[in-house]
Amino acid sequence: MIKFLPLVWKNLGRNKTRSVLTGAAIALAIVLVCMLRTLPAGLDYFLDQIAKNNRISVHNKAGIVYSMPYSYLQKVRTVPGVVEATSWTWFGGAFEEEKGVTFPNFAVNPETIGIVYEDLEIEPQALADFQRYRDAALVGGQTLKQYGWKVGDLVTLRSTVFPIELTVRIVGTLGNERDPRLWLQREYMTQALEAVGVQFDQIGTVWARVDDPARVNEVMRRIDEMFRNSEAETASETERSFFANFFTNLEGFVTIILIVTGLVALCIVFIAANTASMSVRERVGEIAVLKALGFRWRLLFALLVVEAALLSTVAGAAGVLLTAGLSKAISSAAGWNPQLGPLGAFIATGAILVQGLFLALFIGILSGVVPAWGASRRSVAATLREVF
Amino acid sequence: MIDLRNVSRLYRRGADEIHALEHVSLHVPAARFVALMGPSGSGKSTLLNILAGLDRPSEGEVVVAGERLNDLSEDELAGFRARHVGFVFQFFNLIPVLSALENVELPLLLTHLAKDERRQRAATALRVVGLAERASHSPSQLSGGEQQRVAIARALVSDPEIIVADEPTGDLDAKNAELTLGLLRTLKQEFGKTVVMVTHDPRAEKYVDLVHHLDKGVLLETRPGGAAAAEGAA
Repeated sequence: MIKFLPLVWKNLGRNKTRSVLTGAAIALAIVLVCMLRTLPAGLDYFLDQIAKNNRISVHNKAGIVYSMPYSYLQKVRTVPGVVEATSWTWFGGAFEEEKGVTFPNFAVNPETIGIVYEDLEIEPQALADFQRYRDAALVGGQTLKQYGWKVGDLVTLRSTVFPIELTVRIVGTLGNERDPRLWLQREYMTQALEAVGVQFDQIGTVWARVDDPARVNEVMRRIDEMFRNSEAETASETERSFFANFFTNLEGFVTIILIVTGLVALCIVFIAANTASMSVRERVGEIAVLKALGFRWRLLFALLVVEAALLSTVAGAAGVLLTAGLSKAISSAAGWNPQLGPLGAFIATGAILVQGLFLALFIGILSGVVPAWGASRRSVAATLREVF
Repeated sequence: MIDLRNVSRLYRRGADEIHALEHVSLHVPAARFVALMGPSGSGKSTLLNILAGLDRPSEGEVVVAGERLNDLSEDELAGFRARHVGFVFQFFNLIPVLSALENVELPLLLTHLAKDERRQRAATALRVVGLAERASHSPSQLSGGEQQRVAIARALVSDPEIIVADEPTGDLDAKNAELTLGLLRTLKQEFGKTVVMVTHDPRAEKYVDLVHHLDKGVLLETRPGGAAAAEGAA
């Protein structure tokens, strides 16, 4: 078969414009399919990265934008099974006021945060400094990179929630290179608020680490039971569930997109099949001549299918390379942006790229089979009579 | 070399039946150059297709190069053509995206020859038809006469015993037509090929050994061609 490849290749160059346009359509379809294939896997990956199955959130039952009394933190700590609990309060600090909040920043309890988030593996020295210095802050790798900050830098944040401005000193890195968060000390924030006459004894969310993942449901039930009929009833949920709620709408969107993607792939099959049909129809006389010369129909069938598959696979390879580049560009360029959601974490993995390449091959084979079958099975004498 | 016994070919076109050939018997000995002549629709191309293994008779027996073609499957017929028959067509039918050399090499792709050997044989065939220096040219860069000579080289390259030519001068000017007929004659004379040619061209008669005249699917007469007369005189 190898010795026929130059013939196949030259046939592809017969109508270069048509081949290039068809190839471009296939390549773009592969880019689309591969990029969209990253969504479900990316969402799972994202949730796995940020969520632990033994960490729970406790927030106001009315919604996460509503606060709860600070005393809830201590009460949650007393629930059997809770190893430690800490609180998050949205500070909403803007580094560049005109751009608003460009990364999530929270006031947290430094003395317990390292225990609840032991999986973040914050460097011991950084954690110790965070606990020791009132103005200390831990900053995620993504935000550090985005602003070119480093440990020791002073950063001033103007709160969009409270009437204060805080200057924090970066003492260490939080999470990995994709983490956009900034944590500052709750006490630093409350003291600043007191200085402007605001008494703040509320918290946004309590995060608790449970000693055994099997006890999570029981612990959540006890906590919610404890605050039933109180001034702020609570709703507890696992960390994964907490974050997944943010993306519920996105998941529905992903399903729709995947359906559309399937239809796009099908359309591309038809486009490629149409091209293959046109190409074969133009050469029906030549194919008859090749049969006269002794080319068996199976060989001709294979050559025509290989021709369609080669065009599609080369185009698919271009699409796959484009996808890899695009995905890398998005992930490196995407700063924290509420509109983008977790898109920056959606990487086109090797498996997705290989699937894209095989989809291109499949499109090529499928599009080539019907015209190739018709042309290779035609009677050579009848074709010669009709064409010449 | 070629034996057709009582061959008929019936085509159905809707409700109509067309008798392209009726009880034709024909014997072509080896190393002869014969012409099938007759008006349009006389069945000469059908006869050529049948004896070349491109078409099957509705009845009758076809034995070519020792093989009974009636018994062969489509794949076996393809193999038969690759081994025994070289084709020359009226409109040359070269592959436009291939060079002259690559066009000539095409039938050799069906053999087990290595690439170098295939290229060498194709170059030799091109030399035989006087086009060695045009090997790298594409068909569009060649004149009609040159294209037909490339087609003859392609028919010759796999060294088949039989060359069939369907109106090989039909699309050529007088000079190139004479050149092509001369080349076909050379194939018979120098290489011992059996050449069967369908033609309307009266000039062809002087190059061939025998002329078979058909009309309305019936073989009317067989007479010696000019070449046979010339050889006889010599």
